[in-house]
Amino acid sequence: MLARSLLRGPNRAIARQSLGKSTRASSTAAGAEFASSPFYLTLTASLATAAAAGSAAWYYHLYGQEAFAMTPAEEGLHPTQYPWVHERFNKTFDHAALRRGFQVYREVCASCHSLTRVPWRSFVGVMHTVDEMKAMAEENEYDTEPNDQGEIEKRPGKLSDYIPAPYKNDEAARAANGGALPPDLSLIIKGRHGGCNYVFNLLTGYPDEPPAGASVAEGMNFNPYFPGTGIAMGRVLFDGVVEYEDGTPATTSQMAKDVVEFLNWSAEPEMDDRKKMGVKSIALLTGLFAISVWVKRYKWAPIKSRKVVYSPPIGPRR
Amino acid sequence: MTGPVIPIASESSGSDFTSDFIHPPHYLPPLSPIAVNNPVRVVNRLTMSLSAASSTLLRTCARQQLPTARAAVTSCQQTRGVADAKASFESPFATANERGSTLKIPNFSKYQSSKSPRSNQVFSYFMAGTMGLATAVGAKATVQDFLVNMSASADVLAQAKVEITLGAIPEGKNVIIKWRGKPVFIRHRTQDEINEARETKWESLRDPQSDDERVQKPEWLVMLGVCTHLGCVPIGEAGDYGGWFCPCHGSHYDISGRIRRGPAPLNLEVPAYQFPEEDTLVIG
Amino acid sequence: MAGISNVIYQHVSPALATTLFRRNAVYLTAIFAGAFAFELSFDTGSNKIWDSWNAGRQWKDIKPRYLVAAEEEDDD
Repeated sequence: MLARSLLRGPNRAIARQSLGKSTRASSTAAGAEFASSPFYLTLTASLATAAAAGSAAWYYHLYGQEAFAMTPAEEGLHPTQYPWVHERFNKTFDHAALRRGFQVYREVCASCHSLTRVPWRSFVGVMHTVDEMKAMAEENEYDTEPNDQGEIEKRPGKLSDYIPAPYKNDEAARAANGGALPPDLSLIIKGRHGGCNYVFNLLTGYPDEPPAGASVAEGMNFNPYFPGTGIAMGRVLFDGVVEYEDGTPATTSQMAKDVVEFLNWSAEPEMDDRKKMGVKSIALLTGLFAISVWVKRYKWAPIKSRKVVYSPPIGPRR
Repeated sequence: MTGPVIPIASESSGSDFTSDFIHPPHYLPPLSPIAVNNPVRVVNRLTMSLSAASSTLLRTCARQQLPTARAAVTSCQQTRGVADAKASFESPFATANERGSTLKIPNFSKYQSSKSPRSNQVFSYFMAGTMGLATAVGAKATVQDFLVNMSASADVLAQAKVEITLGAIPEGKNVIIKWRGKPVFIRHRTQDEINEARETKWESLRDPQSDDERVQKPEWLVMLGVCTHLGCVPIGEAGDYGGWFCPCHGSHYDISGRIRRGPAPLNLEVPAYQFPEEDTLVIG
Repeated sequence: MAGISNVIYQHVSPALATTLFRRNAVYLTAIFAGAFAFELSFDTGSNKIWDSWNAGRQWKDIKPRYLVAAEEEDDD
């Protein structure tokens, strides 16, 4: 605006002479020589480009970058990638490993971690027989519905009951664990970035002593894979801490692998059926797609190769 | 059937194929209005020859139709010999002879199938049928999965049955358990009670039912503890008939759970139950 | 291969044309009967392939161990 009024100023007299012309037309006519020189055109374009690129860069600098609360060191190590067999598209869980993993959960993890979304019945036909699960469920006590007097009594567990939590509520869990809440493990594989690899590395990644220079708070343990590296849970898996019923050597990594596969099952109990259904439907749909391509060609071939010929009538036949 | 007025050039002569075979729809292209008013000949790559008899029949049919259509047929009949002789077609107009003219009709005969029309058609039907078959299987599986999705989930099914150990119930005692949110009466009847329930003249009762119809094992009476009048829970070992008594409106049930006096219209309902083992009762 | 295709052209095709494809009702019935048979065979076949891919991993593979163990406990 400023430039235009400056340009316009000296030419006002000319503009007034011709009534029919607008002031704008006269101003461009006067500035045409100035603006149309190649040097100034190049300069204007360069300046405009520089201004646009600069403002975009400035905006990205201000708002575009992702904000990180923690430094990469505090974020924790990236978990090592392991070739989990059960993560392949055509493989089910190894149900013997699930059975061992459930034993590890019962004997080690269950003292602090709950598994509240898994009922006893879901183990039947997956890693245990009905009788085994009934016996296991009956070892636990559950509240009954109110009786005639409105009092709640205790009854042995049934298959339809869910696995009881080790603590009554979150507050009790925090109080027993120095303020840290042991998370529910039902969906932990889905709920943690890195999934199986993260949990496996966390379980097996405790160093014998924290590295030099690392600050570990009172009552905390050092684990490089845990975000922030300070974790309230100590190392729990040591060689031989459980005795497997099928005779598998209970090394730390074997137990960690089994319990990780078990926790993946508890997060995705439908995985076996899902993968099988997926393989079947892909096989069927591939065949259908191939035939439908053939049918498309079959339907279009006569249309694409049609000849339209004009043959004039030779005359009426009367 | 509008097919007859479309003449079909017979490029492959001497075929034994007869027209009584079912044609896939495109073998007889639909007659467009343009084709009626202007004698336009449509030549197909996948041509097939009609037998002489059937094409004569078709032509006679066509004569019954519009004069323009008749003219079209006539013209086609007369040009037919030309089309038979040459696979490609050149327009009689002069412009067709110019270089790059679009009026030159290319020869498609090299695309023509060397097999007999019947085997081609059998193959087409086979492919179309196979696609229908696979689609039916896929559609059935999809619909079935959606319907199964609507059925009761596993946690509901797990709670739909109640298992009771009968050894803990002494003779002559009532036990009330909860099943699907309703009370269920289980009565371990004595021999006297069984006799009483059996000897009652049940034919004259309001809801006539013999005791044998209401129990599987005579010593175990299992029924829903919901009064059939307005849904109260009757009191056990009470009432004028030694059975149950509903305190709400005074219905009396006997030792077989049959309505004997009071406003209730029906006997107490017997749920589905079974004895999988000697000492176990499963309701549901 | 040529012999097989000749057999198909000379014998199978005309036979199919006169029996299966001649009447639409027969054709449709054949499709649905074929769908039924195909579904059975497809399910059986794909289950077999799946089980061979996952041999020793599924519950049915390890189940006998624990069923036998349970029965032995009952005997004791």
